[in-house]
Amino acid sequence: MMFGVNVEQQPQSATAGPAVPAGPAVSVVVIVYNDEARLPTAVRSVLEQTLRGVEVVIVDDHSSDGSYEVAARLAALHPDRVRAYRLPENSGGCGAPRNEGIRRARGAYVLFLDSDDVLERNACRNMLEAAETTGADLVSGLCVRVHVDTRTKKEVKWYPWLYSRTRTLDSVSELPDLLVYDTLSTNKCYRRDFLVEGGLEFPVGIHYEDLFFSAQVYAAARRITLIPNRVYDWNVVERPGAESISNRRAEIANFAHRMEIHRRVDRLLADQGLAELKFAKDVKFLKHDLVLHLRDLPFRDASYRQEFAALANAYLASIDPAAYDEVEPIHAICAYLLRERDWDNLLPAVDTLTNRDKVSAPMAERDGRIYWCAEHIEEDPFARRILDVTELGYHARPVGKMFLRNELTEYSRPGRSGVVRLAGRVTNPLGVIPPGARLTAELEFYARRPGVRFRTFRVPVAAVRHEGPYVSWEATADIEKVLRPLGIVDAVWDVRLHLGVDGERTSTRLTAAEPGLATGQLPVRPRLTRLVADRVEPHISARGHLAFRLVPDKKANDLVVRGLRGTPGRLAKTGYRKAKALRKKATSGDTKIRLYHEAFLRLPPRRRLVVFESHLGRQYSDSPRAIYEEMRRQGLDFEAVWSYAGRPDGFPSDATLVRRWSLPYLRALARAEFWIDNQSYPLKLTKRPGTTYLQTWHGSALKRMGFDEPSWKLKSRAAQAEQQRTLDRFDRFLIRSEHDVRTLAKAFRLREKALLRVGYPRNDLLVQARGATERPPLAAELGIPADKKVLLYAPTFRQSGQKRFALPFDVERFAETFGDEYVLLVRAHYLNHVVLPPSVRGRVVDVSGHHDVTPLLALADALITDYSSVMFDYALLDRPMLFFTYDYDAYVHEGRGTYFDLMERAPGPVVRTEDELHAVLAGSSLEEQSVKYAAARERFTAAFGEYDKGTAARRIVDEFFSDWRRK
Amino acid sequence: MSGQRDGRRDIFLVANSVDELGGVTSWTHQMARLFTERGHRVHVIGIATPEDPHDLGDLPYPTTRLYDGQPPAPGRARDASMRDRAARLTRIFGAARPGAVVVVTQVWAMEWVRLADTRGLTVVGMSHESYETAKASSRFRRVLKYYADVDRMLVLTREDADLWIGEGLNNASFMPNAVPWLPDVPSPRTGKAVVSIGRLSDEKGVDMLLDTWAEVAPAHPDWTLRIYGSGEDEELLRKQCTALGLDDSVAWMGRTADVPAALREASVFALSSRGEGFPLALMEAMAMAVPCAAFDCAPGVHEIVADGEDGLLAPPGNTAELARKLDLLMSDKALRDRMGERARENVRRYGTAEIVDRWENLFAFLER
Repeated sequence: MMFGVNVEQQPQSATAGPAVPAGPAVSVVVIVYNDEARLPTAVRSVLEQTLRGVEVVIVDDHSSDGSYEVAARLAALHPDRVRAYRLPENSGGCGAPRNEGIRRARGAYVLFLDSDDVLERNACRNMLEAAETTGADLVSGLCVRVHVDTRTKKEVKWYPWLYSRTRTLDSVSELPDLLVYDTLSTNKCYRRDFLVEGGLEFPVGIHYEDLFFSAQVYAAARRITLIPNRVYDWNVVERPGAESISNRRAEIANFAHRMEIHRRVDRLLADQGLAELKFAKDVKFLKHDLVLHLRDLPFRDASYRQEFAALANAYLASIDPAAYDEVEPIHAICAYLLRERDWDNLLPAVDTLTNRDKVSAPMAERDGRIYWCAEHIEEDPFARRILDVTELGYHARPVGKMFLRNELTEYSRPGRSGVVRLAGRVTNPLGVIPPGARLTAELEFYARRPGVRFRTFRVPVAAVRHEGPYVSWEATADIEKVLRPLGIVDAVWDVRLHLGVDGERTSTRLTAAEPGLATGQLPVRPRLTRLVADRVEPHISARGHLAFRLVPDKKANDLVVRGLRGTPGRLAKTGYRKAKALRKKATSGDTKIRLYHEAFLRLPPRRRLVVFESHLGRQYSDSPRAIYEEMRRQGLDFEAVWSYAGRPDGFPSDATLVRRWSLPYLRALARAEFWIDNQSYPLKLTKRPGTTYLQTWHGSALKRMGFDEPSWKLKSRAAQAEQQRTLDRFDRFLIRSEHDVRTLAKAFRLREKALLRVGYPRNDLLVQARGATERPPLAAELGIPADKKVLLYAPTFRQSGQKRFALPFDVERFAETFGDEYVLLVRAHYLNHVVLPPSVRGRVVDVSGHHDVTPLLALADALITDYSSVMFDYALLDRPMLFFTYDYDAYVHEGRGTYFDLMERAPGPVVRTEDELHAVLAGSSLEEQSVKYAAARERFTAAFGEYDKGTAARRIVDEFFSDWRRK
Repeated sequence: MSGQRDGRRDIFLVANSVDELGGVTSWTHQMARLFTERGHRVHVIGIATPEDPHDLGDLPYPTTRLYDGQPPAPGRARDASMRDRAARLTRIFGAARPGAVVVVTQVWAMEWVRLADTRGLTVVGMSHESYETAKASSRFRRVLKYYADVDRMLVLTREDADLWIGEGLNNASFMPNAVPWLPDVPSPRTGKAVVSIGRLSDEKGVDMLLDTWAEVAPAHPDWTLRIYGSGEDEELLRKQCTALGLDDSVAWMGRTADVPAALREASVFALSSRGEGFPLALMEAMAMAVPCAAFDCAPGVHEIVADGEDGLLAPPGNTAELARKLDLLMSDKALRDRMGERARENVRRYGTAEIVDRWENLFAFLER
């Protein structure tokens, strides 16, 4: 039996108007167990709600501390607003007290609040308004997890994408993610009659009661309203150091409960005719629920792993195989390997799950596809599907761009000194480290000190060699000698192994695959004081990597901690943060721009200094390159500076190379006599009046540009004027045809005298190649057989969000169908990236990495494009063109619009689908295509390339640089 | 705790000014009149007084101006004067009957109201512009600061409210503007004219309307674009019009006091603004059964217009698409008629009776 206070007291409602129902509008059920200190705060957050008609129902789960007494006192203090109840015995969960709360509530609506959390002040008002306006049985709002013990009280929103806007659902099946992800019961407001009449209660005697309760109410609700308002603060306290055997037992028991709740929810959905929600739930299980536990596996022993697998696999058997296709490949791979209990492959896969960019599996190539591992795929078609990782493009990455798994196989301490022996093996996926490669290796220890250039110590690796599918290594490190921490500051030291493969370097971290491999304290000699610590111990980070941390001397450490928390420590820490902020500011763009204007522009100009740039420094290409090479060919006397972004590979060795935005770059721009680029130098840099800016531009326009683009038109007058100032820097602007004058020149509002009607220097090569019968040497470089024709596929840039640009046709089918006749070159826009499967090797070639597209155009016997401006250039060759405009309507109407209708003027067939593309290529030879569209091509070239005569570079040199010829 | 038994209340409308020209002031007096007609006791309070005050005629409710001119420049003198004026507000509010409401129409005015004693009153703060427009101005930070603790912060649409909530303004909600009149006789939609009504300022995007017209006019030589309004950009815009060679098909009509008459001559309404709140001109066109082609430049626009049903919307700034939508309406009389009639029907949900009911319900709700 339970007893309460104020049980019989009814709130008086004599003053309420006729429209307001009797009794409180909302009851908030606050449950408490042994939390006397925080309970008053939770209750206060209800009493201070902006909605006045709120009552508090406290239910104590038979606490052994003073929680109930605190609750009773609160009830006595607010007799008409707070009531307190106590369960006759402890229930051990949240279900029983909340169920009791529902029975005791008098409000038309009910909310749940835990004693350690708080409600946002407007929560009840906002939820009540939503419920009454929409008539919803259930209103749900945003929950925020507040990490109360962090310095900044870090806040993390709970599945915020579900709560980005107000919306009302007539059934949860309209938004399965709601049921699947937001399984909390506390950020919600329930119509009390809806709960009572539907008999909707929390399960008792099992963990994860919220999962079941929320699924139940979602399924039963006839209307659900979601509001973006923050309603509930979930206060999170980190509890470090909970690593014990009894916890392991509890962990397995919890997991068993979780699986049981999942089964109950699945049954409920089936009973309610919502079986289709099970699929969304399966997807979440694979990418979320399972992952939480998988990540712990490297830290657990074999018996735990077996128990875990038994529980998980029993449930995995009920998962729809199609769900595997909806998750990231690594999620599906881990679930599959767990099902197979293939521990040898699973544990490395979990490493990739935890460290996403890590390559942890040896991989295998079969029939032109890449698989995660060689096992399973022969016998199991499902495995073939799941383990196929061709799309991830591992096979196209050089070793230097791979973060390889390096498994620590030995950690031992031969004597009592600080010497440790380490050995390990590095994964060698697809033999990326070839058997004959020259191998070098060294270990590096570095202090984990964010923001400050870390101290590093290096140790040579004694042996490194191929060993079966791995590269193994052994090293001996005297930790006492190499590791010299700065007293308390450098508390944690990370370790990595640099591996040199024929001179290319790749860095790895040491992963301890088994728990308990690395233990035991080692002596060190701190550089400042031994008072605080003179020993280190190995430590495995949350990501599974070996590190060393100082073992603090307990007594001294207390002093130090007190110091760190006290005034001196606080001052030191804020000083450090300020220094960090200052450094960030000193290297910021604003500072550099100021330096450019206030220092570099005051330096004397440098005659004959020319700064070149193509596509914001990404390439050595296009007209700037053509002009540069013509200047070199003529042997002009000048000083050349090329700008590069990222890496300088492929840029000319006979020019000074400067990284874009570096100080040498800014200094060169400030002093140069000429700027030559095809897109734009940094907008914020003003040009010295003595500098001539030759803007070559990078293509004639099909889609609207500049002030013809909606986003430019929308700018305010002031912003447009600002934009115009950057365009007015162009002293000369290259023009290929009067179409450019009507489009680009108008769109950039250029003065007539800036226009230079000479054509594009980059296209000189194309005009010269027109009618050429011999193949350029590039064909041999790319390994194209003489009997194959070359097709170039060069689509325009597409915004594809975070996702990789996907080819709009099946490249394997293409190679299968046309591989005997053609080699297809694929050129993705320089901002997009494409992956080809090994199966098409030799038949389809990715040429996206080539700096310059022009030689590729000259090589291709025909071009396939969509809206890319290469169409205007390629037309100069008078070879067949094909337009694959699979997304024409969206591109034209939803995008920024076009200057003319491509359908009307395309000098070649326009196809919309992959099948049409195949039909055109299969239906007629390139020669037939060429003849059929000869007249159209001629018109096209006349309209868009009238000034491209093959002499542009020469004419530009004549006009601007003739004085620089060596006499 | 609740208002008068009959639901009649004291309502204070506090605006930047009682008698300046402008959308928010017109709205303030429109609502003051409507509340008065329902029997509420209204008092309109303005902070500053403009140099050439707009003549309001006889008002059926009292008005108060806190400053004769502008308040002192920000600084110590401003602070002192604010405390003084806030004390005056406290006296005015203190005389109110229980259940009184203070509606602050602009966030600038809130800087005074927040210094006054509003205990026992319900305080509503308003932002009469889209979230995006506010975000681009200094008002954004001020709204977040000064409206953080009002009982309700109101913007014009649900979508705008959700965006403010996303910024942490948890008391945000929304209230649409009312269409001031619903005429008995709609436009016959026979005149071959596209009409635009609004100030000739950068914000209203008439430059983009001219660009649009340059794309659509050649296909419709018998049609005219009639541009109503005046403003600081008139000369620039006329120059642009001439440069585009549109002088023969564009008519500059100047300011008009008779909006229904302007709409009666038109068959299509064009809205080409860079930003909007809850555009009154659009609702008036719909009330006159004139279908629109508009840039979807604010939540208020697609809240009012159901694209493809009672009007056509184009992506903001995309003059090619706006031209395409205008062309659709200009080329198809049956489409104009269908959309125009639907528009007239649909805009009734913003009728004055509906909107005043919503306000009264809100006042009652905030007392619970």
